[in-house]
Amino acid sequence: MPSPDQPLDVEALRAQFLHAVYDEYTFTLDADKLADYAKSCGETATKFTDPNDPDFQAPPTIGSSLQPKQRMPDDFPTFKGLGMDAGKSVAPDKPMRAGVPLTARTHMHDIYTKSGRSGRMVFFVIRMEFSDADDNLLGSADTSIVIREKPQT
Amino acid sequence: MTVNTINDVEFGEELPAFVPDTSMDNVTRFAVAAGWNSPRFTDHEAAKKQGLPGALVPGIMNQGFLSAMIHRWAPAADVRLVDTVFRAPCVVDQTYHINGVVTDIDEDTGEVEVDLTVTNEAGETRVFGTAKVLIPTA
Repeated sequence: MPSPDQPLDVEALRAQFLHAVYDEYTFTLDADKLADYAKSCGETATKFTDPNDPDFQAPPTIGSSLQPKQRMPDDFPTFKGLGMDAGKSVAPDKPMRAGVPLTARTHMHDIYTKSGRSGRMVFFVIRMEFSDADDNLLGSADTSIVIREKPQT
Repeated sequence: MTVNTINDVEFGEELPAFVPDTSMDNVTRFAVAAGWNSPRFTDHEAAKKQGLPGALVPGIMNQGFLSAMIHRWAPAADVRLVDTVFRAPCVVDQTYHINGVVTDIDEDTGEVEVDLTVTNEAGETRVFGTAKVLIPTA
């Protein structure tokens, strides 16, 4: 395990951790909470705001609100300082419905760097994928975390 | 103008902006619904004790505002992607504007790209991003 002060070996991290599912759980969505979620965001379409609508479904950005139970893979190195949230991306594919079992699986989707005069930034893209009981993919949500490394002297 | 088909969409068109409800009551309602019921989103004083300027509008709520704006503009739009960068915090009980501009149109597939921003009263961008949506082709 490298010291938190050492630069991260990005290629080694990619080889060891990319695309391996490290968190998985099954859950259900509550219709009334989905409707509250949508209405508080200003949604007006009844398929998002009215649980009695025959096509009632979660709002498209719901995936961003779901979080893995384990933040990082086992044995992932610690790094100095706090990782900052660099953004969120949500890609719905099929409707997520209330009251049915859904599964969330999380993997490290990408690790990459950007360098400049002030040092190097390392980005970690954590992807959650959501599927139904028949294992149909319903969508995904990416969270990007960035850490800034100090230049080596 | 409400968009019903891809033929109604114009390059460079600005989506009807709206001012979302960022009151403490509404943000709390969202936080409870999303399972993000933390004092940093629902209590100004508790948030300030954490070094924040006040209770924050969750970034994911901003994504919800942006998606809602798209549906207000094009009720039949199928949102395929919302990609956002949270540049600076949005504070509960302050006023923000949700904006969008059409930056690409594929008339064959119906896919439209929209640049998104959340700005404050000073016109400063707090959140920016891109959405891809499918609009009915006929």
